[in-house]
Amino acid sequence: MPAAISYRPRRLSRVTDRVMRLALWGLALAFIAVLAVFVGAILKQGWPVLNLGFLTRMPETLDAGGGIKPEIFNSLYLVALSLAISLPIGLGAGIYMAEYAGQGRILRFLRLCIETLAATPSIVLALFGMIVFVQMMGWSFSIRSGAVTLALLNIPVITRVTEVSLLAVPRELKEASYGLGATRLQTILKVALPYAATGILTGLVLTAGRAFGESAILVFTAGTNTSQTFPDFRLTVPGETLSVHLWYVTSDGTLPDAREIAAGTAAVMIVVLLVLNLSVRFLDRFIRRRTR
Amino acid sequence: MPDASDTLLDAPPCASDPTRESPVVESLPKEPAFRHSRLQRLADRWSHLLFLTCGLLVVALIGGILYFLAARGAGAFLPLAGNTDKVLTLKEVFLSADWDPNSGKFGILPFIAGSLSVTGLALLLAAPTGILTGVFIAKLAPGWMKTLMRQVMDLLVGIPSVVYGIFGLMVVLPWVSGKWLSDSPAAGFAVSAAILAVMIVPTIVSLSTDAFESLPLALEEGSQALGSTRWQAIWHVLIPAARPRLLTATVLGLGRAIGEAMAIQMVIGNNPQWIALMRGATDQTPVLRFLFTPAATLTTELVQELPNTAAGSTWNNLLFAMGLLLYLMTMGIILATRRLGRQRNA
Amino acid sequence: MLSPQTPETKPVKLSVRNMDFRYGEKKVLDGLSLDIHAERVTAIIGPSGCGKSTFLKCFNRIHEVSSAVKVSGDMQIDGVDIYRGGIDEVDLRRRVGMVFQKPNPFPKSIYENVAFGPRLFGVKDRATLDGIVEDALRKSALWDEVKDRLKESATGMSGGQQQRLCIARALAVNPEVLLMDEPCSALDPIATAKIEELIGELKENLTIVIVTHNMQQAARVSDYTAFFWLGKLIEMDLTERIFTTPRERMTEDYLTGRFG
Repeated sequence: MPAAISYRPRRLSRVTDRVMRLALWGLALAFIAVLAVFVGAILKQGWPVLNLGFLTRMPETLDAGGGIKPEIFNSLYLVALSLAISLPIGLGAGIYMAEYAGQGRILRFLRLCIETLAATPSIVLALFGMIVFVQMMGWSFSIRSGAVTLALLNIPVITRVTEVSLLAVPRELKEASYGLGATRLQTILKVALPYAATGILTGLVLTAGRAFGESAILVFTAGTNTSQTFPDFRLTVPGETLSVHLWYVTSDGTLPDAREIAAGTAAVMIVVLLVLNLSVRFLDRFIRRRTR
Repeated sequence: MPDASDTLLDAPPCASDPTRESPVVESLPKEPAFRHSRLQRLADRWSHLLFLTCGLLVVALIGGILYFLAARGAGAFLPLAGNTDKVLTLKEVFLSADWDPNSGKFGILPFIAGSLSVTGLALLLAAPTGILTGVFIAKLAPGWMKTLMRQVMDLLVGIPSVVYGIFGLMVVLPWVSGKWLSDSPAAGFAVSAAILAVMIVPTIVSLSTDAFESLPLALEEGSQALGSTRWQAIWHVLIPAARPRLLTATVLGLGRAIGEAMAIQMVIGNNPQWIALMRGATDQTPVLRFLFTPAATLTTELVQELPNTAAGSTWNNLLFAMGLLLYLMTMGIILATRRLGRQRNA
Repeated sequence: MLSPQTPETKPVKLSVRNMDFRYGEKKVLDGLSLDIHAERVTAIIGPSGCGKSTFLKCFNRIHEVSSAVKVSGDMQIDGVDIYRGGIDEVDLRRRVGMVFQKPNPFPKSIYENVAFGPRLFGVKDRATLDGIVEDALRKSALWDEVKDRLKESATGMSGGQQQRLCIARALAVNPEVLLMDEPCSALDPIATAKIEELIGELKENLTIVIVTHNMQQAARVSDYTAFFWLGKLIEMDLTERIFTTPRERMTEDYLTGRFG
């Protein structure tokens, strides 16, 4: 009988284990460092520019010292309008997929379509918006062209988050509602949607953040100019947003202080997004505490 | 036939005899206390259609995008009404690297090659680091680190592309050119791909974290029970087991990367003649030339030239055809992930 | 409790003839025929997977909500076929209430849970709603325990209280039949006793059908007992007779624990 082989832990594998685990920690810390450097650099570059005057002055076209007042307004206005358009459609499509489409081909096809739309590059949506709204409908570069095209970006996200939140509603709750004689619509509106509302709301805030940062779509639909009156609620005027402004001043290059303005605008956007991110986190915690 | 009311003493009250008639009951017509109004019933019936319409709108939208891009793009190849400019053949567009619109040369290979180069490089950076970070979050990180990493990724994904672009323009480009290129410009594939990698890494990290977390614990336990180290379990068991989903994660990252426009446009240098320039610069090593020659991609050319070309011109129409090409590529990517998903389930 | 010596005086409320139930290709219930009398408690017993819950759900067509199923044969309430075209399943579910295996209160206040049903049917008047809620909570023997905290969340109640709240919620829309699908399976013995006591009181003006896997519970609460096995009705009779002198050998084997 051969002597039993003795298996002893190999030194090499133990060293590899330790090295690789350290390397993974290093990798993760590197990503944190990238984010820190990123946010730090943007804020540092933008800080000297950021003051009340910058936030409340109108932009200049040729001279230094312009502000970003109308761009802030346009950003918020366009996000709000695009959400107002996409929310009903996204909710409706999400409700259809979760509650009516069943499990068969229709659902699979709809899912594929939502996924495709969600993956569509925003520059492609921009081309579509440019052909249909700017040119064919004759709306030219305007708030309305921008809002409608931007809504196309939001719809798949809202649809998905609605579907997922509705599917997470416990079956027992829906059954209880049907058991009391509720119609399907009543069950959806009074039991399922309230239960899913917090999840949908979180998704909405994230969608708003994405729309706020979007630029490719708006360059070609809402334009790179802004109305000279403030605040201008008209839908037919061009509406340059913060992100478009940031891109335009750096690529156009007629402003002597383009660099400072871009840095200040970027800092404002980063601050807004940090605030949005924190609010999502609070919302999430609040939801968890409430539903236990 | 037994009567329902006096059968109790001997026969069972509820016969399983199918031939027995259902007992007739004179039930008093009760006035129902609760009834749905007509309106409520109508709403229930018609709401279905309303929701369906929303769903169909999404389907129509995809068809609409395809149709309008194709209709405009076709103008570059067909003598359509109102099209007075030059008409091109497919061959001189898709199989030519000669781009000089002012002398009527419209070969878009430089843009296709540019898109593939920059996304390829970005994936080369983002896929391994993203997957390894995924394994770290799922298997090694303590609770607080998991939370922290998730938040870091949430923030990275939330940063707008123009802000990435401005960071590249104001921070990365000067730094790279000062540090490594003795102050010659750093625009080109390297910096674009690095920035693009940071933009798509959250997608890959979050999907691969999910992939590793959904693996049965038994796999890891089985491996470690044989005396393998943690890393050996990860390398030899977990990563192979999660491979189909990791591939899906990478392909979705690719989809995000190929469509990105603004950030790259701000740092890549926008030079459609990059191939010639790269060949011409003989003073540097080929690798450096590839990495740091100002170049262009499908998306950057769209951003750059769409506002500068006249509607109806060959150039302008061709830009829409390039958009269509981009859209078809992302559709192909989505279908590929579907295929991968099906393999996984089989 | 009904005994073999007293004649049945109540009319038949639910009547089933030759009923089959298919789930896809699979036949889950096979050729059932039975009658259920008004204002009596009928228990359905049998081993798990014998189709008793499925059978219960056929009475208010709630299975149609989640899956494609096929019911053939005859199921009548007050002599009217409930699967006939033109029958409104929503109204049917109002008349035939249901209490589920696991307490499933809505994540709302106690008051809102009970008021949910009446509100569905357009009852808006506050005083009317208050009256309905109090009445339903009294009937489910919950009023004294919760009258001071009607605004509190229902999810904070104990399991037994939650289940009685679900009964109150069902009673608030004034059903004629109450289906109970193993209502005590998630509850402790004390809570179970309370529910059983409640069932005895509720049958005064309600037809109750209860599915249970607990034979003692069937013996304690029901007037009639039906024994199901593999989707077939083996035997149905007065509870007293089923538990003392069953006619079928299979029933006896099941009750004495020889299988199942």
